[in-house]
Amino acid sequence: MVAYIARCAAQLLVALVGIVTVAFFLMRAIPGDPALYMLGDFATAEALATLRARLGLDLPVWQQYFVFLARAAQGDLGVSVVTGEPALAEIWAAVPPSAALAVAGMTVAVVAGVPLGIIAAVRQGSAVDVGVMLIALGGISFPVFWVGLVAILTFSHALGIFPALGATSEPGLLKGLHHLALPALVLGLSVAAYIARLTRSAMLEVLGQDHIRVARAMGVPERRIVWKLALRNALIPVLAVIGVTFAWSLGNAILVEAVFSRPGLGSTILKAILARDYQLVQAGVLVLAAAVVVLNTGLDLLYGAIDPRLRQR
Amino acid sequence: MTAAFELRGLTAAVPGEKGAVRLVEEVSLHVRAGETLAVVGESGSGKTVTFTSALGLLPKPGRVIAGEALLEGEDLLKLSPEALRRRRGARIGMVFQDPLTGLNPVFRVGEQIAEVLRAHLPISRREARERAVALLARVQIPDPARRVDDYPHQFSGGMRQRVLIAMAIALGPRVLIADEPTTALDVTVQAQVLDLLGDLRDAEGMAMVLITHDLGVVARQADRVAVMYAGRVVETGTVAEVFAAPRHPYTISLFRSIPDVEAPAGTTLAPIAGSPPDPARRPVGCAFAPRCFAVSDAAGCRSARPLLIGAGHEAACHRQGAAELAA
Amino acid sequence: MSVTVEQIDAAAEAAARRRAAIRRYTRHPGFMIGAVGIVLLVLVALFAPWLAPHSPTRTDLMNSLAQPSATYPLGTDQFGRCVLSRLIHGAQVSLQVGFFVVLISLSAGTIIGAVAGYAGGWIERALVAVIDILLAFPSFLLALALVAARGNTLDSIILAVAIAYTPRVAAVMRSVVLTIRPRPFIEASRAIGLTPWKIVLRHVIPNALPPVIVVATVSAATAILAEAGLSFLGLGVQPPTPTWGNVISEGQTAITTNPLISLSAGLCIAFTVVVLNLLGDGLRDTLDPQMRRSTGKLL
Ligand SMILES: Nc1ncnc2c1ncn2[C@@H]1O[C@H](COP(=O)(O)OP(=O)(O)OP(=O)(O)O)[C@@H](O)[C@H]1O
Ligand code: SF4
Ligand SMILES: [Mg+2]
Repeated sequence: MVAYIARCAAQLLVALVGIVTVAFFLMRAIPGDPALYMLGDFATAEALATLRARLGLDLPVWQQYFVFLARAAQGDLGVSVVTGEPALAEIWAAVPPSAALAVAGMTVAVVAGVPLGIIAAVRQGSAVDVGVMLIALGGISFPVFWVGLVAILTFSHALGIFPALGATSEPGLLKGLHHLALPALVLGLSVAAYIARLTRSAMLEVLGQDHIRVARAMGVPERRIVWKLALRNALIPVLAVIGVTFAWSLGNAILVEAVFSRPGLGSTILKAILARDYQLVQAGVLVLAAAVVVLNTGLDLLYGAIDPRLRQR
Repeated sequence: MTAAFELRGLTAAVPGEKGAVRLVEEVSLHVRAGETLAVVGESGSGKTVTFTSALGLLPKPGRVIAGEALLEGEDLLKLSPEALRRRRGARIGMVFQDPLTGLNPVFRVGEQIAEVLRAHLPISRREARERAVALLARVQIPDPARRVDDYPHQFSGGMRQRVLIAMAIALGPRVLIADEPTTALDVTVQAQVLDLLGDLRDAEGMAMVLITHDLGVVARQADRVAVMYAGRVVETGTVAEVFAAPRHPYTISLFRSIPDVEAPAGTTLAPIAGSPPDPARRPVGCAFAPRCFAVSDAAGCRSARPLLIGAGHEAACHRQGAAELAA
Repeated sequence: MSVTVEQIDAAAEAAARRRAAIRRYTRHPGFMIGAVGIVLLVLVALFAPWLAPHSPTRTDLMNSLAQPSATYPLGTDQFGRCVLSRLIHGAQVSLQVGFFVVLISLSAGTIIGAVAGYAGGWIERALVAVIDILLAFPSFLLALALVAARGNTLDSIILAVAIAYTPRVAAVMRSVVLTIRPRPFIEASRAIGLTPWKIVLRHVIPNALPPVIVVATVSAATAILAEAGLSFLGLGVQPPTPTWGNVISEGQTAITTNPLISLSAGLCIAFTVVVLNLLGDGLRDTLDPQMRRSTGKLL
């Protein structure tokens, strides 16, 4: 297990260097001069030259890359053109509300999606199964921002249970959670739908395997077979995609934050895009990708804990 | 003496395009305590379906439509699902064909055995684990106290089959059904596993059903034999009787390539020209007619289904007397 | 030339097989709903100018935010434009985005995935590493950044969404190819000396096609949702050109008085996506049951 953890840590490091590299070249691949782009068409040649030097754009690309990498390793992702503050610090300030939303959304997704998928699989073909699968189809088909609007219409305007604003400046954990609930449910729904579909098909496959027939022949109660013996097998493919769905739900989170006027990475990055704050966008994209990579490493560790065959290799 | 396990007219079917397709029909057989009944027949003849449906394990939408499955006189098919579950594993055990996929890959071997024990007995985890170690020792797994914490992928095929046998005998069942327990194993390992099963049967006084393709195994291990063809038992009797004087043309064809009764180990069922009928398209009359060397319209082979007749040694053929002519 | 009995038999058998295949499709309710739904949508988009009761951009400020009536079946928006007409024309943008994004990302993803899956060795490892890293970037965010940098014309939106979603398609394609690689005919082609390129073109890609069709339907759905999201954030095709996303966004200001505007536009998106997903699920079930595993992930 120690060796496995070490391997996961090494992979994390490689992946982080990878995303920094990809972010660097992706931004360079976008046509146009970032300095011109930032300062606008009426910038003086002098101002452009100064900015280019500050951004290191006067160096050859490979040198730029290593400078970028070295700085990134020290947590320096440049400065925001608009505010002049370090880009990473500005992004970092927007992380807590977004992290809360993402974590709450994923929790909703897993807590609702896995059991629903299991129940649908166990009662395959029944009304329950059809119902769960129809809801799941809706969950992956309705645009998340539209679900948000409908949720606001129903739960805030009509029923008055949850506030329409996804955040509050008032102190207090309960207050914050009350405002977080609706955005988290909306964000979680689409992922829950996806996880339910996946869990169902994984579960159906496992329930048809020989070792389950053996357990039945040995008189193990059906409840234990489903929720213990089969579930652990079925969770392996589910875990494998949680990383991907996390990346996907971070994209959705931008839309959810917009619908609920919630501060966070989404609104920060969106503002940066509209203000052409190139460095800030880059820092934001990097932080989100890093979050996905870190989560994936955590999942790999969990994966190893569940599946002994992985630890061996 | 009543049989430990007896099937009477067991018929199991799955829904098909044109009504129910009978996978096995009117299967009757029995096995007594301390005795081994061998069940032989070509692939697809319904051996596995017979016993899985008797234990209520036939996957949906298959189901038993007629017959009884008597475990020490009690009909398993009339029990509630929960009552049946309590008999399975506890009083009747089953070992399946493929040991490589029979164990759950993500649980420790000991935990899987403990799961079976705790499904039937009110014991603690600790106690279950101790018993698991003892059971591993019982099936001759070296260093059981250490191996109990290993995962299935750390075991060889033969060792995994031993673990599955340990699970099947964990609660001291009266009947053990072994469905081709050695087909997937190396020849040397096959003999070890069969010896182990024989020893366990003698020590526990279990009744054993041994499904196999290996006539050598039948000759050495079994007391009686049932031959299945196209979902039916076509001949049954003691091993000595059936080997010495097979009556059904199918059985006769099986033995043709074997020079004498003392069949050498590893003699598998001899191929017979043609192939068995699809369960959905069995011919009227005798299902073996298209491949039978003694087929006769006059005797009714293509119009009437032959029934098992005889005392002790029974066969289902319209021309039992004429069969010797063919030899 | 005489026709032999074998030839007749073979022809009859082929016809029977075709009939059986058609029956498999027509008996799958999801597939049928999906197929009919898609055909309907394409017809609506093609004949939008004739189907729409009004011009989608004609403003009627006297009649802004009108409730549904005979003239305006779904009412009007704040500029007095007919909502129904805007929705009918909005189908054009969504379907174009769906179609072209799939065309681009699938061609690129298929080639990348097929080369990686077929080549093996370090080429595969390098490509897989790059794909894995790209997958860590939220696709929608990438599309957002690309659109911001390249402007929000329909072309650049299509390109941005296609680029952002190609890594996912490539990842699926690679796993599809992995399931094909060990099949014997590839070995056979190698043995008779076909070049790797020819093997990829003649054997790997055609055999990967059924799962690719499934991937295509699901990617089209994803692309349509992404475009709607961009439109909603104001980064999509700009008004007055109608898109379902910008109808929702513009309707948001009147959400309490005229909720029908945003609601109906959302239902249009959902209908399209549901129909595509049903079609994809149906194809997955009917084309090849074995395929479930190779396309189950990521989609
Ligand atoms: N669940 C099922 N649904 C439909 N048909 C089935 C099912 N299980 C088995 N069959 C069919 O029933 C027949 C008998 O199968 P069975 O597995 O009992 O054969 P077997 O004698 O055990 O063969 P083998 O020696 O290969 O194990 C076969 O034709 C098989 O295809
Ligand atoms: S009944 Fe007829 S066809 Fe069937 S085995 Fe006997 S002789 Fe052969
Ligand atoms: Mg069998």
